[in-house]
Amino acid sequence: MNSASAAAAAGHGRLAKMNLFRPWAWRRSAGAAPYLLLAPALLVLAAVLLYPMASLVALSFQHYGLRQLIAHSGDYVGLDNYTAVLRDGFFWKVVARTAAFAAANVALTMFLGTLLALLLERVHRPVRVLLTAGLVLVWATPVVVAVDLWQWMFDFEFGVINWLLTHLGFGNYIHHNWFAHPLQGFAVITVVVVWGALPFVVITLSAGLAQVPRDMIEAAEVDGANPLHVFWYVVAPVLRPVFIILATLSTIWDFKVFDQVWVMLNQRPGADYFLLGIYSFSESFRVTQYGLGSALAVLLVLILVVVTSGYVRHYMGQLGEESK
Amino acid sequence: MRFKQLPVALFGALLAVAGCSSTSNNPAPESGTLTVWLMNGSAPQSVVDGVNADFKAKHPNVNVDVQIQQWSDVTTKLDTAYAGSSPPDVVELGNTLVAKYAAAGALQDITGKKGGYEGSSTWLQSLTESCTFGGKLYCVPYYAGSRAVIYRKDMFTAAGITNTPASMDELLTDGQKLMDANKSDSNYSALYFPGKYWYAAAPFVWDFGGDIATQSGGQWKGSLDSAQSQQGLTTLKGIVDKLSRADKTGDEAKQDQAFAQGHIAMIIANGWEVGQVIDPKAGGDSSLKDKLGVFPIPSHTAGKTAPVFLGGSDLGIAAKSKMQGLAQEWVKLLAGVKFQTQMATVGQVIPNNTTLLDLNANNPLLGTFAAAAKNSRFVPNSPNWANVESGNVLQDMLVSIFTGKQAIPAATSAASAQVATILNAKV
Repeated sequence: MNSASAAAAAGHGRLAKMNLFRPWAWRRSAGAAPYLLLAPALLVLAAVLLYPMASLVALSFQHYGLRQLIAHSGDYVGLDNYTAVLRDGFFWKVVARTAAFAAANVALTMFLGTLLALLLERVHRPVRVLLTAGLVLVWATPVVVAVDLWQWMFDFEFGVINWLLTHLGFGNYIHHNWFAHPLQGFAVITVVVVWGALPFVVITLSAGLAQVPRDMIEAAEVDGANPLHVFWYVVAPVLRPVFIILATLSTIWDFKVFDQVWVMLNQRPGADYFLLGIYSFSESFRVTQYGLGSALAVLLVLILVVVTSGYVRHYMGQLGEESK
Repeated sequence: MRFKQLPVALFGALLAVAGCSSTSNNPAPESGTLTVWLMNGSAPQSVVDGVNADFKAKHPNVNVDVQIQQWSDVTTKLDTAYAGSSPPDVVELGNTLVAKYAAAGALQDITGKKGGYEGSSTWLQSLTESCTFGGKLYCVPYYAGSRAVIYRKDMFTAAGITNTPASMDELLTDGQKLMDANKSDSNYSALYFPGKYWYAAAPFVWDFGGDIATQSGGQWKGSLDSAQSQQGLTTLKGIVDKLSRADKTGDEAKQDQAFAQGHIAMIIANGWEVGQVIDPKAGGDSSLKDKLGVFPIPSHTAGKTAPVFLGGSDLGIAAKSKMQGLAQEWVKLLAGVKFQTQMATVGQVIPNNTTLLDLNANNPLLGTFAAAAKNSRFVPNSPNWANVESGNVLQDMLVSIFTGKQAIPAATSAASAQVATILNAKV
């Protein structure tokens, strides 16, 4: 959402510069009309996002347990919640785990998404329709339903995955518990997250691919470029803004992964499965330390802002280059 | 994530709009709706209907809305409900949760009204204690439950076992006989023990003299890492490794249905689970009716039984309830002799009153559960205990131990430290 509005703002600036030399278009950028039109959306945003955010930040400076929740008044403790969290080794472990998980998921999503988009461009029409329909179906499946399906497939007793792996000769997977060891458990969760993220990436990328001029590719081929070169030196640069947006969004989504872990582990994920979102929810609603949980949530937002601002700057730079 | 915080923020907003909550002692209004939360599986529908009918006879203009809640996420729901301005008037609370809500001021102090409850002088002592916080009474005992082993008599006979195990060693050797007799069944568990089943693991810790935590000078100290506790858990791990093919990371929520499938010889269960196992509507198998037996969890000392956790529920009245009087009337019915008798005979639980304990004494299955309750223990009596439960500390420890992720000394010392931190936290 941030990158989108940033893009809009940048576009607006560009328009204004150009209009200096086109007096007939001046009227378009003048007056209060844009602000009036934006106002309803801004009001809604303020109500559903700004206000809760402000409450969250306020909560993070209070000791807010069950007693305070019932009495509706917390005890202000300054930065105590933050120092408690930042001094806790477990927090840093969760941060590292979340970052590693997000990095792996973004990389896999982008890599597989690109491959699928390229494939989609090359197959015959009926296959393409079938593939697209499949992607849309995945997209349309609610997360909770999807996770339930995957949970059954990976079930240690009745799961089809264990049955399949055993019958295909990969070893004895009868009663193999995928969630007994966090690395394997996170591998399963990664499969579910990437599976759910692919449709958006593939469909967006194939839209982008349609914009790559055919003659540029043909020219490169005439010059003796192999397919890898064509992709790397011709297609990829054209798609760069799309890649950046997709990577930004994926990063945000994968940092915040909650439902997949929560549902997959029957709403009681062990400490080994805590990602930042789960950790914050657990501190708040399980251990009734709403102040600590809020501090964690604020830190998660801050981390996301720092991580994604890199992308946004990159993207803005790209826009700047284009407008030159 | 931000959206998960929304409810908290919204409560603040609601209150700001609604102004202050009324605390004045108005005479109870004789109309409106009394909201009651009961837990899934606690009272049979016939008992609830009976209580409501008797209540309606006295208060014809008052509706009673009984809502059934699930155990798995109940603390989250209770927190948010009590934070609101009109929480449910009557709530069934697990006996390990009462201290948390009493300390936070969510429950009405009914110390002065105790005498008005039928049979209150002979309430089960342990349940009364779970309702008592800081010398005051915050809830009414509802029912109790304690665990024993439900087993398949036919499987025992087929494996050549004539007597039920009298010690933990015998439990293991008998279990191995069962495993041998059912070698061809790759799903077979002699004792089905899901990895997160803490309340079935506690007897092993207590039996060797261990404990969860001990209190001295107002400070809690975790004692799961004591030599005795570790010995109990080592014994349990030996049994689970050899006898159970249950999910080492799973919980006990589905164990009755699993038991009814016929690949399991023993489960550790509450008395009312017998009914679940043979109830086709609950996923059970009615043909097992005459094949089931019950024996107490044996001690490591031959001939004795291990102390079990005394579970159960209490009925609390919300401090913010605007129908204090009517709520009391309703609770008096369900906690009174008439319906407690039905809770024992129909609901198959241990009723709240010592004078009713013998109702199931002659029932060969249920009698064992009632007897087990006589050698029972409870969790640390702290308002923070509920957070140990909902924080999954003990469950995580068991999973680590059973999956072999951590050795017992490391897993228990980590859990012990966590338990101490949570119990000593500022309320």
